[in-house]
Amino acid sequence: MSHRHFMFLCALTISAVLLVSIGAAAQTKSYVPTKTPDGQPDLQGIWSTLTSVPLERPANLGAKEFYTPEDLAAQANRAAGGRGRGGGRGAAPETGDLAVHYDTSQFGLDRSHATVATSNRTSLVVGPEGRVPPLLPEAQKRQAERAAYQREHQWDGPESRPLAERCITWPSEGPPMLAPGYNSNLQIVQGKGYVAIMQEMIHDVRVIPTDNSAHLPSNIHLYFGDSRGHWEGNTLVVDTTNFTDKTAFRGSGEKLHVVEKFTRTADDAIKYEFTVDDPTAWAKPWSAEVSWAKEAGPVFEYACQEGNYGMKNNLSGARATDKKAAEAAAAKKAQ
Amino acid sequence: MKAKLAVLIAGVALLAAAVPVFAHHAFAAEYDASKRLTLKGKVTKWELVNPHSWIHIDVTGPDGKVTEWMVEGGSPNSLLRNGFNKNSLPAGTEIVVEGYQAKDGANRAVGANLTYAADGKRLFLGGSAPGANGGSGENQ
Repeated sequence: MSHRHFMFLCALTISAVLLVSIGAAAQTKSYVPTKTPDGQPDLQGIWSTLTSVPLERPANLGAKEFYTPEDLAAQANRAAGGRGRGGGRGAAPETGDLAVHYDTSQFGLDRSHATVATSNRTSLVVGPEGRVPPLLPEAQKRQAERAAYQREHQWDGPESRPLAERCITWPSEGPPMLAPGYNSNLQIVQGKGYVAIMQEMIHDVRVIPTDNSAHLPSNIHLYFGDSRGHWEGNTLVVDTTNFTDKTAFRGSGEKLHVVEKFTRTADDAIKYEFTVDDPTAWAKPWSAEVSWAKEAGPVFEYACQEGNYGMKNNLSGARATDKKAAEAAAAKKAQ
Repeated sequence: MKAKLAVLIAGVALLAAAVPVFAHHAFAAEYDASKRLTLKGKVTKWELVNPHSWIHIDVTGPDGKVTEWMVEGGSPNSLLRNGFNKNSLPAGTEIVVEGYQAKDGANRAVGANLTYAADGKRLFLGGSAPGANGGSGENQ
């Protein structure tokens, strides 16, 4: 088979898959999930949270919330004819920050290696705007102060490094939970009165009571907040409060309030919706919707602290930079 | 043909290219982009640990002196899914690593590319691993 024929077949196959997926999405209303032994709708399994849809809609799409089947087919054709970022990079660029860190295709960080749910959405944020509302002036000030402090103190010591670098939490863990970019898998396990969600990045398990119990007292603040769930029909609804200001979600503060909805729409698909609100960050709540695809698994352990040489190495690099600067200053003074 | 196929696979990946890949820590803090190096040496140890794997190699200089280097690689979780396993880099394997040296001047680097000296194969190139598209031919 010639290269050209192969490309054409690939484009055709992708188009067909996308069209079938859109058809399937339209039929999800009739899907009835199986039940766990104690009667809960069954969400269990390993799911890929990776998506091809950006959180915010590209400005040129205006109020267009969904791609048409023709749009998607055209995209597939373009994709099969060109080469995208994130794959097949044989050479690491000479300059830049993360750009030189890895040849992603070689070190397994390439998105093409992972399962991705199909979607005809133009942005994860729903509604005609398709964008996160602008931060209130108060929140902008808070964010600027955080950034200024960080610039000044980021290399002071281990405690001043970001939570992810310290292997404590990953920014995508939420809630709301978004794809981390690689190892984008989570596993849902259900038991009587509880739903547990383990995210591969970076090892944490959310244990969510589904007994309608009250939230923790408001003076208790947790990295992942305090989540309480209940069932509305076949949808798991999880309400989370009691956040800390150490895990700001797009400029949020402690008053962040997240409502997540998990609905199994097919044997191999979950619709994950969330609404976030924080009166200290946004003038109004905003919502998003993500399609998750069933992943064969397994989820591997990500024992982040096990080999986190990066902490020592980063600080060592910072001290070397400090020393160089001090020597340069001393030399200048001596002149 | 293989290189063209790799380009094709990369093109298909565009559909999934929405979330920027970011690594566990910033490159610029730890490594010096101006200290690009190529190391040829024998693997002494392969640490499959998260958040980053580490390859230890003995590099013999022109004067016959052996120096130990350690080279940072990707997350083992990703490597395993990509068809890699703990037998992929046994001790004694001769490899060539292109990368960037640590800012503090230690014999430590981040690997950008890895080539098996014996047959010129690059990590994940060939075989049936999904996305085995490391060799697009640009850097060989």
